[in-house]
Amino acid sequence: MAEERTSRLGNGAQALEGGRKPTIWEVLTSERYFKWTLLIPLLLLLGAFMLYPLFYCIYYSFHEWGMQGKAIFIGLDNYRAMLYDKGFLLAMGRTFYVLVICVAGELIIGLALAMLWHRDFRGQNVVRGLCLLPLLVAPLVLSLLWNFMLEYDFGAVNQILDVIGLGKVYWWSPKLALYTICMITIWQWFPFSTFVLLAGLRSLPRDVFEASRVDGASQIYTFRRLTLPMLSPLIMIIIVLRAMWLIRLFDPLYGTTRGGVGTELLDWTVYRTAFVYFDIGYGSAFAIFSLFLTILICALMFRQLMKALGVIK
Amino acid sequence: MIKKVVFWVVTIIVLVFVIGPLLWIYLTAFKAPEDIFTTELKSLVLFAPTMDNFSRLFTAYPFWMNLANTAIMSVVSTAVVMVVSVFAAYSFARWNTGGGHLLFVTISTRMFPGVVAAIPFFFMFRNMGLIDTHLGLILLYVYFNTSFATFLLYGFFREVPKELEQAAMIDGYGRMQVFRRVVFPLILPGIAVTTVFCLIWSWNEFFYAFLFTRRVARTVTVLISSFWGSIEVQYGPMAAGASITVLPTLLAAWFMQRYIIRGLTFGAVKG
Repeated sequence: MAEERTSRLGNGAQALEGGRKPTIWEVLTSERYFKWTLLIPLLLLLGAFMLYPLFYCIYYSFHEWGMQGKAIFIGLDNYRAMLYDKGFLLAMGRTFYVLVICVAGELIIGLALAMLWHRDFRGQNVVRGLCLLPLLVAPLVLSLLWNFMLEYDFGAVNQILDVIGLGKVYWWSPKLALYTICMITIWQWFPFSTFVLLAGLRSLPRDVFEASRVDGASQIYTFRRLTLPMLSPLIMIIIVLRAMWLIRLFDPLYGTTRGGVGTELLDWTVYRTAFVYFDIGYGSAFAIFSLFLTILICALMFRQLMKALGVIK
Repeated sequence: MIKKVVFWVVTIIVLVFVIGPLLWIYLTAFKAPEDIFTTELKSLVLFAPTMDNFSRLFTAYPFWMNLANTAIMSVVSTAVVMVVSVFAAYSFARWNTGGGHLLFVTISTRMFPGVVAAIPFFFMFRNMGLIDTHLGLILLYVYFNTSFATFLLYGFFREVPKELEQAAMIDGYGRMQVFRRVVFPLILPGIAVTTVFCLIWSWNEFFYAFLFTRRVARTVTVLISSFWGSIEVQYGPMAAGASITVLPTLLAAWFMQRYIIRGLTFGAVKG
């Protein structure tokens, strides 16, 4: 009995003599259980912080509750109402629209600059370092800053445009506001694409390009047939990660339009429903829906991402 | 030759475009109201610098207290996150615990829309009296940073060769000793990078701070956002506050160049 346990527990328990029961610490650090011991804190945390909110959000989404009194069970009514809620559907469409514009814009600018800077030049570290700065600054601060710079009368951008002769622009008009928000987002995040793609370009095999040059392939042909396909896993990573962030765009809205002038996006709708109108049940239904949307988007591209991250082969 | 000129012209335009707005924060912070609200382009750049915005920010608003709140919550939550995720990442990287599924679940918490967690936590915190407390926000920051930190560290742990550990085990080290004496020293750079990233995420966080704090535990991002009110907008103090708040992240961005891309891609791209 004792021998059997000793052999099963392996290294950590080898020091045991006779039939003494191993202490808890010895069991926890034994060859067999150590990997699970290391995970205990994480599992506790995930249980408390992931399952609990998920469960309650689903629970509320089947109820009508305005923070007072008892929650009334109404089954799928919240979800049904959601399908006919014009504001919500618009917000969802808008979110996708913003997602496509921003990802496309970031990728195009990012790729162009990556191709441009994929060489050794004097001051390259300074240039790269400066371009990384916006990535880590609080999005809220940046949105307030842009809100200020794009102000109609006193904003620096309009005054410069005026001097050049292009005339002032109503950046926050209902027509333009959504694009202005896209522009701010692209401004902050294009360096991300640039630097991911730069890392990709650096890791491409040189001899292939050498060969295509010797064979007399044109630069455009090389780019389309060699560079782009070889960069596609990285482009995939950029799309997935950016889609994850963009679907939850909130800070840039708070600092600028606060959901007005036709810029209400998905997360803002949820926020407004649950925390301004205190329609908790309905808000929860939105939240659950937006969660499934995120999961759906990610599931479509997740294998690529996990492969790139090295989790699966 | 022409190619070189085009290269530098484009590069400089991009740099102006990127750095200009950031510099604008600092320019505005030293301006008197009449220089902020001017329609003359010249005085937007040439003006008599003043410290009024800063002195107003320090006296009329609890700026330092809010900044201290942000700092406290960032540091404490990051410490907790690091303890949890260093162990978890080691387990995932060395034994592939859970066959990739658990790791998938872990990363998926980071993809949860913030609002999904916000609604249930709001009522739980309200019942427990955790709204507008440091502890409440620290718990939320732990929640949203752990999966990220685990993933980033996972990549660093995978770079430690297994043979090193096996050699140490043959020398008679137990599992705990191997971890402390062999793996931990090798992983220190990774731990440093992950720590800085967690600090920055919490430092910049706005959504939870905005929903879960009022006065006592208000963070500096919420204070800055309050200058953009519905009645009047106080650009001066706003820029002054932003210029101080943004400073640590700008420094981190400059000194961590090599690791930023690795961090932002959850370790997928080495940068």
